Parts: sequence; C-alpha cells; structure tokens
Amino acid sequence: MSAAPDIIISVRNLKVGYDGHVILQRLNFDVRRGEVFAILGRTGSGKSTLIKNLIGLYKPMEGEVLIEGTNIVTAEGDDRLRLLRRFGVLYQSDALFGSMTVLENVRLPLDAFTRLPQMDKDLVALSKLRLVDLKGSAAKQPAELSGGMHKRAALARAIVTDPGILFLDEPSAGLDPITSAAMDALFKQLARGSGMTLVIVTHELPSIYAIADRVILLDAEKQSIVAEGNPNDLRDHAADPMVRHFFRREAM
Amino acid sequence: MHEASEVHFVSKISIRGCKTRKAMRGEKNIRVVPRAHFELRTDHEGQSDLVLTGKLDTNSTPLLWRELKQELTKTPVTTVDAAGLTDCDSAGLGLLYFLSVGQMNPGVKITLRGLKSEVQKALQNFSMEDYQEFERQQPAKRSVAVEVGTAVVGVASAFKTMVVFIGEVASGLVVLLFHPRQMRAREVLRIFESAGVNALPIVSLISLLVGVIIAFEAAQPLAQFGAQIYIANMIGLVMVRELGPLMTAILLAGRSGSAFAAELGTMKVEEELDALETMGLDPVRFLVVQRLLACVMLTPLLTIYSMFTGVLGGVLVMRGLGFPLSKILLQLESSLHIKDIAFGTVKGLVFGLIVAGIACLRGLHTKSGSSAVGESTTRAVVSGILLIVITDALFAALNFVLTK
Repeated sequence: MSAAPDIIISVRNLKVGYDGHVILQRLNFDVRRGEVFAILGRTGSGKSTLIKNLIGLYKPMEGEVLIEGTNIVTAEGDDRLRLLRRFGVLYQSDALFGSMTVLENVRLPLDAFTRLPQMDKDLVALSKLRLVDLKGSAAKQPAELSGGMHKRAALARAIVTDPGILFLDEPSAGLDPITSAAMDALFKQLARGSGMTLVIVTHELPSIYAIADRVILLDAEKQSIVAEGNPNDLRDHAADPMVRHFFRREAM
Repeated sequence: MHEASEVHFVSKISIRGCKTRKAMRGEKNIRVVPRAHFELRTDHEGQSDLVLTGKLDTNSTPLLWRELKQELTKTPVTTVDAAGLTDCDSAGLGLLYFLSVGQMNPGVKITLRGLKSEVQKALQNFSMEDYQEFERQQPAKRSVAVEVGTAVVGVASAFKTMVVFIGEVASGLVVLLFHPRQMRAREVLRIFESAGVNALPIVSLISLLVGVIIAFEAAQPLAQFGAQIYIANMIGLVMVRELGPLMTAILLAGRSGSAFAAELGTMKVEEELDALETMGLDPVRFLVVQRLLACVMLTPLLTIYSMFTGVLGGVLVMRGLGFPLSKILLQLESSLHIKDIAFGTVKGLVFGLIVAGIACLRGLHTKSGSSAVGESTTRAVVSGILLIVITDALFAALNFVLTK
C-alpha cells in the first residue's frame, strides 16, 4: 500500500450490475495521483459499466467510490457538483451535441461550471482546440467532422476545465492505428505535462503498453479483478497463465 | 525590488475571494475560495506596471477580469508582472493572454514578466488569430435578396425532387407488375394491418363523434324552422362527400405517415438504405411501393367505414330526438346517391396515395444524425395534411365546374 495522500480515486468493495443481476463484485483498487490507469477486459466484462459507476452515472449495488476523499455514490447537491467539476469524461460515442458548433460544444462545461467572461471562455476553448489540433474547425458543426476529429473535439471538451482526472471510455474505438497512436501521445502529454490522472477503459493492448502505468484486468466469469499491476510485469511475470496469455496473445 | 523608492502606489485593489452561492444567501457552511490580487505601480516617468499575485483560476478570474477592464482603461500599463502568481489554470491563462496581446488597453504593447516556464508553454496554445478565424467562419447575416433567392431555389428543387420521386415510384410499380415475386406481399400485408386494421378503433371513435357533433350542432337551428328531419340529409352529404375521406386521411397522416417517415428515416440514419443500394436493391422498389400499395388498398375501405360510422352517429342523435328509424333511413336514401359515395371513395384513395407518398419521400430524404428522424417525421405529417387539404379544395372546385 502506498502512502495515502497519493491516492486520488479509491474503490472499496464495489458491486455493480443491472436490475439485481451482478456483473462485477469485490472490486478494490486505488488510482494514484498523476498516473495513467487502465481498466482492461474482454468485450462484455463490464468495463464500461464500471466506469459509469466510477463517474456517478450509475449507482453501484454496494460499496463506495471515493474521489479525492468524497464518496460519489452518496454525494448530492453542491457536493456532487463540486465533485463533477474535478473530472472530465470522454464518452465512447463522443457525445458531441449536433445542434451546437464545435466551439460551443467545447465551451459548454465552462458555461455550466464557471462565470467567466465570454471572451475568456472562447479563448480557453480555442486553446484546447489548438491543443488537439482542431484550430480551424471551431465554427463547424460536429456533423462536418470526421471520426477522428470528432474524438479530438470531444477530448477538448473533456479537458476544457483543466480537470484533475480524465476518464476515457474506449478512446481509440473506431480510429485507425495512426490516429489512435496520435491520441495516445496526446494522453501521455496530458498526464506527464499537466499532471492529470487518466483512467482509461480499453482493450487495445498497443496503447496500453504505450501509456499505462498500471492496469487492472476484469474477467466476466470471475466477475472481478483477476490481475493488477504494470502491464509489462503482468505480461512477463503474472502467476496466472491466463493473465499472461491475455497480455501476450493480443500483443502480437 | 530595488526601484521601490521610485515607485508610489496609485492604487491597490484586492479582489476579495468570492463566497459560494450558499454563503451569499447567508447560509452556513461559508467557504471562501482562493483569491487573486492586482496592484498598479507607477514610476516617475508615468509608466505603469501591473503586478498580479495569488491564485488565478476559474473562481477568481471572472471578478479580476471585470476589475482590470475598468482599471486599465483609466491607467494603461506596459508591463505585467506575474511572478507572484502561485497558481494559474486555463481560465487564468486566458486572462494573461488577453492582457499580453494588448486587448485590455488597446494600442499598447504589453510585456509579460516572471512567468513560470510551464505557464509560458501552455500560453502558446492561446491565439488571437484562432479567435479571428473563428469569427470569420461564423455564418454572416445574409441580405433579403439572398434569402429570397435561396428560398426560391429551395422550392424549385423540392418540386424537382417530388417529380423525380413520382417517376421512380411509377417505374418501380411497373417493374413490380412484371415481376410480382419481388413484390414482397407479406410486407404489403403487414403494412395493411398496421396502418389499416389497427386504425379501426380510432377511426370509429372519431367518425362517430364527428357525426354526433354535427347532428347536434345542426339540430338547434333547424328546429327553428321545424326542419329537424333534414339533419339526415346534412349528415349524409357532409360525412360521405367531405368529412369521411378527410378525417380518414388526416388520421392516416398522423398515424401511418409519421410511422413511414420514421421507419425509412431510421433506416437512412442507420445506413440500412445504403446497404440496400449496395446489394443492388432500389429503396423505392423495395420499401416505398409496398407502402403505397397497402395504402391504396386500405384507404377506400377505411373511408367507406368512416362514412358509415359518421352517419351512424347522426342517426343515433336523430333517434334521440325522437325520429323513427324508418323515416331517417328514407330521408337518407332520398338525399344520398351512389355517385356521392363513389366521389368520397375516390377522394379517399387519392388522399391515401398522397399521404403515403409524401411520408416515404420525407423518410428517404432524412439528413444524417438522430435528430433528423424527428424532423422528417414532423415534415411528413405537416406536408401530408397540407397536401390533403389542397387536393380537397381542388376536388371541390372540379366538382363544382363539372356538375354546373
């Protein structure tokens, strides 16, 4: 166990599922400040469900999720809002609003959470668009963007409030390997440069080896975590052959 | 600061931390957020420096921005000293950038001093050129002439689309007449059931009530002349020639027109129509003709059903008023001719064709995006009803001219 102040997200005895049907249980893990933490598993192992529980969209059946010491499961009202300001989320389907321009989409969290002057909000949103290499597309509608540009615009929106934590749900889904490598570089820059903590749900092993400091591996049959640690260590030294297999076979 | 002796303070303004909204409402749990301060220093040559200290973030920037804007119009500064900033987020960087490009006091170039290297680096992402580019790309207001021109072109191209569509449907129909196996009779039956049979309850209820309403409305004025028996004539003509076909068509537009547009629109959005095309299947021949055919079969039946239910409503009212059934029927028989029923039925058939056609057209021309489906559904219902009423007016005029 590492020193307590380093821990930014702490998951305690979490049990998640739908309508009384358990998907994952006995989940205990910590995410350390500033690290890139990946949640791995095959399709159907409950990765996306878990992340939606972590960000408070779903209520878990049991247990608690402490984000900087506050339990998001029970937080309500102003406490909840304060907690929501601390993290950005990149959704699997990007979730850009089709009725707004790209700039309005990116600016939306600032509109919602702050009372900054319009000019400042526009400048900040444009600076994030430049960061994700979309500087010419601010006035466009999301429908005019390609898939990769969509993803980057959604990322700009997720980081526009300079959140301490960034949740990424399958960030490379539907992207070509080169674009997805560029996204990985961007994530690395965010984590190393701005000290952001990244929690990534993915099954793309190349990007895990490229960016993740630590991973947990979920298993649908055991309904829980089957491995935790550095991805390279797990590939080479995991005690469970099944785990080694997972990390090797897909790495080929 | 070795120049301290030459500096005298013009003003020293502290931005007090803004309290949380709760605190403003006077509630407990007061939490004072971190603050940012600024200070204006003027040397003996009249040059002013702006010194920023504290935490410049989303909480402190709004107030500081406003205060600085006021202060700097009075006292232009040439240098901003940011060495005293303990913390600076993107919102604060926005303010620093805005200051540094001289936007707060126009015409004066400002130097930023004492920035930490990582702040300096993050500042590179800010760009006034990006902002101007963005402003340029914002859609400009168009002149009336351009608007009118665009609208005319829009109407013309919509008309063209419709003509092309009618042609496609006609050719599809002809092809299917020669290849009846491609007709997908089961699909036609499914639509016949969902758009026709399942509409019976609502058509019954509305037609019956319309008949009852008209009979009641007519009863009073006719009673003044002792002519209540003529309710039968009126209800017969109105239901059979006008309201039967019209109510049926409007219900069809609302129930099935919207459904057709939504079905085809969803297929368009989900790329199912593209899949059909790449499999060599024409969407019009595969989806539209079946719907049109089902509507052509069901609307005459539904219209006749509606006519009789409406008349039944009137008859019920007249029975209530004390007229014997035989007398009512005799009166109906004398006023209604078979050609009235035929006229109403033909109208119903044409309306059904229009409703199904326009709904399928709107569905096929759905734009991309999930909100587009709702849009084309609305357009299908609105254009359907509009076209029905226009066609009805044409029928009335035609009938008047022909029977004169």
